[in-house]
Amino acid sequence: MKKKILSAVLFVILALAGVLTVVPFIWMVLSSFKTNAEISALHQTLLPQQFTLENYLSLQSNFNFLRYFANSVLIAAVVTALVIYISCICGFVLSKYQFRGKNLIFGFVMMTMMIPWSVTIISRYTMFMEAGLQDTYLSLILPVMVSGFGIFMMKQDISSLPDELLEAARMDGADEFRIFHRIVLPMSKNSISAIAIFQFLWVWEDYLWPYLMIDSEEKQLLAVGLTTFNGRYSTDYGGLFAATAISIIPVLVIYMIFQKRFVAGVAAGAVKG
Amino acid sequence: MLKRRPLQSRSEVILRNIVVIFLTVYMTIFLLVPIVMAFAGSFHLWNPLNGTYEWIGLDNYIRMFRYPTFWTAMSNTLIFCAVVVTFRVVLGLSLAYAIVSRLTVHKTFFRTVFYMPTVTPLVAVAFVWKIMYNPQFGLIDQILGLDINWLYDSVFALPAVMVMTVWKDFGYAVILFMSGLLSVPSDYYEASNIDGANAWQTFRYITLPMIRPTMVFVVITSLISYLQAYVPVMVMTEGGPGTATYLSSYLVYDQAFVKYNFGYASAIAFFILILTAVLTALSFKVTGERG
Repeated sequence: MKKKILSAVLFVILALAGVLTVVPFIWMVLSSFKTNAEISALHQTLLPQQFTLENYLSLQSNFNFLRYFANSVLIAAVVTALVIYISCICGFVLSKYQFRGKNLIFGFVMMTMMIPWSVTIISRYTMFMEAGLQDTYLSLILPVMVSGFGIFMMKQDISSLPDELLEAARMDGADEFRIFHRIVLPMSKNSISAIAIFQFLWVWEDYLWPYLMIDSEEKQLLAVGLTTFNGRYSTDYGGLFAATAISIIPVLVIYMIFQKRFVAGVAAGAVKG
Repeated sequence: MLKRRPLQSRSEVILRNIVVIFLTVYMTIFLLVPIVMAFAGSFHLWNPLNGTYEWIGLDNYIRMFRYPTFWTAMSNTLIFCAVVVTFRVVLGLSLAYAIVSRLTVHKTFFRTVFYMPTVTPLVAVAFVWKIMYNPQFGLIDQILGLDINWLYDSVFALPAVMVMTVWKDFGYAVILFMSGLLSVPSDYYEASNIDGANAWQTFRYITLPMIRPTMVFVVITSLISYLQAYVPVMVMTEGGPGTATYLSSYLVYDQAFVKYNFGYASAIAFFILILTAVLTALSFKVTGERG
């Protein structure tokens, strides 16, 4: 009996926290199907009274939202792929090879995680402007393709691979590149999923750097586009709801697909930490 | 365990050299040079728009310490960090504790739900919350039956931003604490059960010390990222009303890329760097000792 009550109490607490977590999402999605008049009406209802797709349709005609969306997908995908590959290969060498200066290099890698963006962004901006890289996608990819977080995670993960396994492959005559691609990479799927989601999200939500680097509207990314939209149509709440819904949903979908591996990957990095 | 052998094959040497050279060059260009440039810049009057770059010694730092908004931003940042990190740890740990309890069903469901806000883009989330705080038709005043203009009230604006941040980030702590809790060997609990420890004693003397590494990790990563927070403020309040929600990193953004005082902004950025290092070391000590 006591167990039943306790179990019910736990469930109520968790359910309450769960409701508080999802309410903003539900409110956003439902509101994106309301007319502006209904959104700002004095009498509010949760469900749209007049269901409308107008917010989504006008988004595209007033504002080239699909273009921003596609740009963000492209940049996020390229950066994520690069970060994963670079993190894995650096993590492999830094965890399984012994050489002088290894700890120094790893120290710098860890430093990238602790240096605030505000310290490096001003000089990076100056450097990129002088190199004539403004308004290029290269400027968005170069500064984020090496991730201290990613290398740290992969070093942790790969160091737990048994050395015997790698030795056995070496005995069979496999060279290091083959070992890396055929053994190390496939065995790190959990950490790779965790890095993939985080990295995709970071590129997807990064605001300041693309805002500084990209001038032409047709090259701009979603997070900046969202802010521009708000500045230009500040009273079009329906449009803003639709735009935010579009910018949130893809990341949520990716998360839902990978969530199992992802949780295992995130956990692996922190507990050993 | 196999004894480590020195590098032998050609391919090992090649791979190692590629990685070492790549990382060295990359870190030099994208980490060391920018830090040195910013440090040098903090002693200059530096404005890229009119091409000014003049040596002014410590003037930027002196100006910074005399600027009231700097101190407002600093105290806001410390309050923001303390409150949000505390809530993140307390909420994260208690919800994780509830989920891993043997009495709880649908564990995966709750875990997935709690983590949703963390994987949503901050800029988008901040916009949704900005409308939620709207006094005319926002969800929060509607539900609570209040009439508060949250983001335009100098008392409520900073707490409003903090609530949004806690909502956005507590799920990360839930996942980390869950894996920490699950890694505690179950015989420890059995032993404490046999010794007649109550639930609180078990938590205090078994669980808490065992999850110390997770605790240190959560506190330090949170601290580092909150000291750098500017997006919620930029989207929701632009630092206002007045300077009520200025955070130190927002101040850097404002000085550097709104007002183009690069030298001055660099000085503030270096102060944040030192603050980050000090607070990180401090929280290592505190969370390390408590366990």
